[in-house]
Amino acid sequence: MKPVNLNTVIILLLIAVNLGFSQLPIPTGYSIDGDDVVFRFNREDYDKYSDDTAWSITKFDNLDIKTVSVAGEFNNWSKTKWKMTKIDKNTYELRKPLSKFEDEYSWAFKFVINDRYWAEPENNAPNLTPALKYGILPLHVNNLNMYTKAHPAKDGNVRFRLRGFEDAEHVIVAGSFNKWNEKMFKMYKIDSGWELKLQMLPGDYEYRYIVDGNWMEDPTNPDRVPNEFGEYNSHINIGKFVTFRLNGYENAQNVILSGSFNDWNEEELEMEKSVNGYWTCRLPLSAGKHHYKFIVDGNWMLDPENPVKESDGMGHVNSVWMVR
Amino acid sequence: MHHQSKIIILVVLFLFGNFSANANVSLEKPPTISFSNAEILSTHSTRIPFKLVDHLIVIEAELLDKKGNFIIDTGSETLILNSKHFKNNGVLFNSGKETSGVIDVIDNPAEKHLSEFLINDLLIERKTSDVIDLSHIEVSKKIHLLGIIGFNILKDYEIFVDMYLNQITLSRVDRHGEKLDNSVYLEEIIDTVAFDLKKHTIVLDADINGETLKFGLDTAAEFNQLNKRTKKKVLKYFYPSRRIALSDASGKEMEVLAGKLFRVKLSDTIYCAPMETVLTNLSHMNEVFGTELDGVIGYEFLKQQRTIINYKKEQLYFIKYPIQTH
Repeated sequence: MKPVNLNTVIILLLIAVNLGFSQLPIPTGYSIDGDDVVFRFNREDYDKYSDDTAWSITKFDNLDIKTVSVAGEFNNWSKTKWKMTKIDKNTYELRKPLSKFEDEYSWAFKFVINDRYWAEPENNAPNLTPALKYGILPLHVNNLNMYTKAHPAKDGNVRFRLRGFEDAEHVIVAGSFNKWNEKMFKMYKIDSGWELKLQMLPGDYEYRYIVDGNWMEDPTNPDRVPNEFGEYNSHINIGKFVTFRLNGYENAQNVILSGSFNDWNEEELEMEKSVNGYWTCRLPLSAGKHHYKFIVDGNWMLDPENPVKESDGMGHVNSVWMVR
Repeated sequence: MHHQSKIIILVVLFLFGNFSANANVSLEKPPTISFSNAEILSTHSTRIPFKLVDHLIVIEAELLDKKGNFIIDTGSETLILNSKHFKNNGVLFNSGKETSGVIDVIDNPAEKHLSEFLINDLLIERKTSDVIDLSHIEVSKKIHLLGIIGFNILKDYEIFVDMYLNQITLSRVDRHGEKLDNSVYLEEIIDTVAFDLKKHTIVLDADINGETLKFGLDTAAEFNQLNKRTKKKVLKYFYPSRRIALSDASGKEMEVLAGKLFRVKLSDTIYCAPMETVLTNLSHMNEVFGTELDGVIGYEFLKQQRTIINYKKEQLYFIKYPIQTH
């Protein structure tokens, strides 16, 4: 099969490498499950709580948990509104659609016990962020941070790896996917360098590494674009698998999918006939816009079920598919 | 069928002052803005892909050997160039002072005339551009911002802001607003709404709970805004959820109440889904927009409606948002 897009490095569904669990910066307090964010409080992850009225941090031991809520920037830090459901003796859960959180790159949150006490996350949680009052005054406690566009995940679809720099203390990956945040995505040490796996939405992104404060491009990625500092940003396009489908034409002998993604090749992508009589073709596509058509027994045709179509400026009309 | 082409947008900038008084100003190599990703559809229309930076519509372009971004902003009266990258001197932007004593000199030294602005060989004559410091937007959005493309450039085109395909299509129109190229859109227009053009602002009549409100349509409004002094009947459909910090055009931060605005109706057939909206004091904004408004709608509206703006006809057209099934 021809490369899908010569101009773009597509990083798709990287095969998970077996890594020691302890190395992975799995965020505390939430996970992303399909189109949902799942907040999860496990009592064993917390051994201290703080109380706004007492200004002190106390051990958890004697606190009798009646309710657990999620409070954060997304609900104006309400201690009561987002009540969690008890799953077992120590675990509480709350599920919310991811679409509620798409406006920001990150959201700070915390768990609230009995509508009053803030559960204080352990200092080794990878997604800690210092709590600020009114966004300015430090409160000397930590919040948890939630990232929705790109977040560290054990089975993430993108693996960033920087070889060497074994004596460095901190290596960060920063990019257009997290507004070039210089602290958010800390890489972890591996045998020959540094690594981080992120679960990322399809899109076109630029990124750089920060090794002990020094910015650099990804030396192993040849796909790079000049930046305003006279240097380069590395470039990636995160794509996804798309299934094209043509209903009907059960008696056709041969159906081909052809498009801007394979330079309008008229033979390469043969569609398969399903038992139900429709034709399908599944392939990885880069994020962005693609023009395509079907060739049914030699006759070019638009996708009859896709209302989105455009002319190509040369007199042809094509169906249009957007990967996002 | 496969088509990759480059569009060159030529911006020929010179002051008439320079032109008449100083023949040494070289115009042999006119400055150009080029959009490397644009698709030329015909001599009158072109498609330019954009990316969303937070909620801003940003297109990549190159001007005078500088690569960077421009924001598409119907809320801006003119083309604005970022003074951080385009100094107010030299061949491109001779200051007003240098041209004093010459007829037609502009008083404001930061205000420049672009005598030609070419898009795909389409000539637009005598555009005004402001050169102001936009570095606070660069800092907050972490983008390299060359400028803002506003009303005085956009008004000569029909503009299709397509949040589904992440692109804008510019089609040149005649003085009646008719497109010179009629085969630009192949998808069906499902609805039409008339607006009033007040100075440079698109003003729509919207209905909430039986009250008629005047909303400005601003493609660079990252959040919808609703005047907090609006009627109680309207505020009944604003459900506050949180406080957020917003910065205005000057970079000043303020805290505002954010929530969802329900039941906005533009016509008997166009109902908007709930839109993220902030309550603000719009009185100072009304000066910017040059008209009295009850609110401003922007990204939150455009993301639900694939919208075509025709300034000359004072009409918005809507194209169906497809349901992605693959």
